[in-house]
Amino acid sequence: MIGTFDYVRVGSIKEGCELLAARNGGAVALAGGTDLLVSIRNTGRSPDLLVDFKDVAQLNRLVTDNDAGAMIGACVPLNVIADNTVINDRFTALAAAARSVGSYQVRNRATLGGNIANASPAADTAPALLVLGASVNVTGKDGTRKIPIDKLFTGVKKTSLRAGEVITDISLPPVGSRARSAFLKKQRVKGHDLAIINMAVSYDPDAEALRVAIGSCAVTPILLPPVNLSENEPIDELAERLNDIAQAAISPIDDIRASAVYRLGLVPVLLSDLLSVLLAPEGGAR
Amino acid sequence: MKLHEITLAVNGTRETLSVPAGMTLLELLREKLYLTGPKEGCGAGECGSCTVLLDGRPVTSCLVLAVETDGREVRTIEGEATDGQLSALQQAFIDAGAIQCGFCTPGMVMSARALLERNPHPSDDEIKEAIAGNLCRCTGYESIIAAVRLAAEGREK
Ligand SMILES: Cc1cc2nc3c(=O)[nH]c(=O)nc-3n(C[C@H](O)[C@H](O)[C@H](O)COP(=O)(O)OP(=O)(O)OC[C@H]3O[C@@H](n4cnc5c(N)ncnc54)[C@H](O)[C@@H]3O)c2cc1C
Ligand code: FES
Ligand code: FES
Repeated sequence: MIGTFDYVRVGSIKEGCELLAARNGGAVALAGGTDLLVSIRNTGRSPDLLVDFKDVAQLNRLVTDNDAGAMIGACVPLNVIADNTVINDRFTALAAAARSVGSYQVRNRATLGGNIANASPAADTAPALLVLGASVNVTGKDGTRKIPIDKLFTGVKKTSLRAGEVITDISLPPVGSRARSAFLKKQRVKGHDLAIINMAVSYDPDAEALRVAIGSCAVTPILLPPVNLSENEPIDELAERLNDIAQAAISPIDDIRASAVYRLGLVPVLLSDLLSVLLAPEGGAR
Repeated sequence: MKLHEITLAVNGTRETLSVPAGMTLLELLREKLYLTGPKEGCGAGECGSCTVLLDGRPVTSCLVLAVETDGREVRTIEGEATDGQLSALQQAFIDAGAIQCGFCTPGMVMSARALLERNPHPSDDEIKEAIAGNLCRCTGYESIIAAVRLAAEGREK
């Protein structure tokens, strides 16, 4: 037995939100359970009721359209995202981030909504969603609203979701035809560990826009302030410039996975690896 | 404690049971249905020894609630052999020497089963990716990868 909670499988968002509101904090949303059930088991603290949203059809949609971007239902499992051709081609960082989570078995259960609602500083999809400019659509008893992803994370396991609000989908704005993105994660063992550090970069040569986000290095995943690219700046100089910005923006700690110093040292390594993946096709310089 | 009545198919047999919400699928299989192939190693999704197929996809049954499987289909290692005949995949594990203590084997075989169903001719890297969530403390994995390769190379029908 994992806990003493009761369980309801709901057929609609409305039904689930009403239950969450009526139980006033005693009920929590359940998606894949890969964070929630582990945490109930480990802490011995059980909510009164788990409200299982993952059968709601709307939460399982994955719609992609080159002109309209993508809409990913909160309960879409990470393996579905990792295997989607359009997500791989157009939103590469997100596909790679989804694929890097846990093991194949975990990714069959773990959902995108659960990964960000859980708000671990190490959540792998977070840096990818940050550089892709995602927004999070949420519904509560008072209706729906849209939260830009950089306004979602407020602390370790804390979000700007109000009590009883659930994430319904994550929308990704369309990307330019030459835009690309990538994600990298350093971990102690593949398939069995959270990130020591994870990082995503997106680059659109037509918009001259480069975005970098870093996870596991502060209380929330961090999106760096946008940088202006100067013409023909060599990759190593750009990496150095971004490293200075990153070192000022993050505040890693020592934990069981790595020391703060080691994390700070990995930042330039991941930056130059990611930049060479994204910028090298254009002949070394941008 | 409130009980939920659920109906699921386990290795092709319909089962109707009453379960508390906090019971895991692993507990249901082992303690209610006496299918003790799936094992509990960590109870937290890390080791894969409890791997079963839920609607055809491998999951760690220690992190699935029994109530969540109402109306679903579950396959365990007990469903591999037919009429007392090991499946070609099981036989390949034996032939490749991929079993030592055997604790990881039921989960390992189910991960491999799902891999071969979605990808009948996996590369070594694809095999490694598919079993990355299954820990083995004995074999060093090489013989397990060889077993899956062997099963994929035409012996598996
Ligand atoms: C063995 C193992 C390895 C793991 N490895 C990684 C890893 O490498 N990288 C990584 O990032 N994570 C990892 N995780 C953590 C976990 O798998 C992911 O965070 C996963 O995406 C969580 O999704 P879920 O659907 O399982 O969430 P659940 O456990 O169902 O829910 C998590 C939290 O979010 C809330 N919630 C869920 N859905 C919604 C919603 N739609 N709206 C509002 N709130 C919601 C729940 O109430 C709960 O508080 C691992 C977990 C395990 C067990
Ligand atoms: S017992 Fe389920 S993964 Fe270890
Ligand atoms: S054979 Fe012993 S754990 Fe794999």
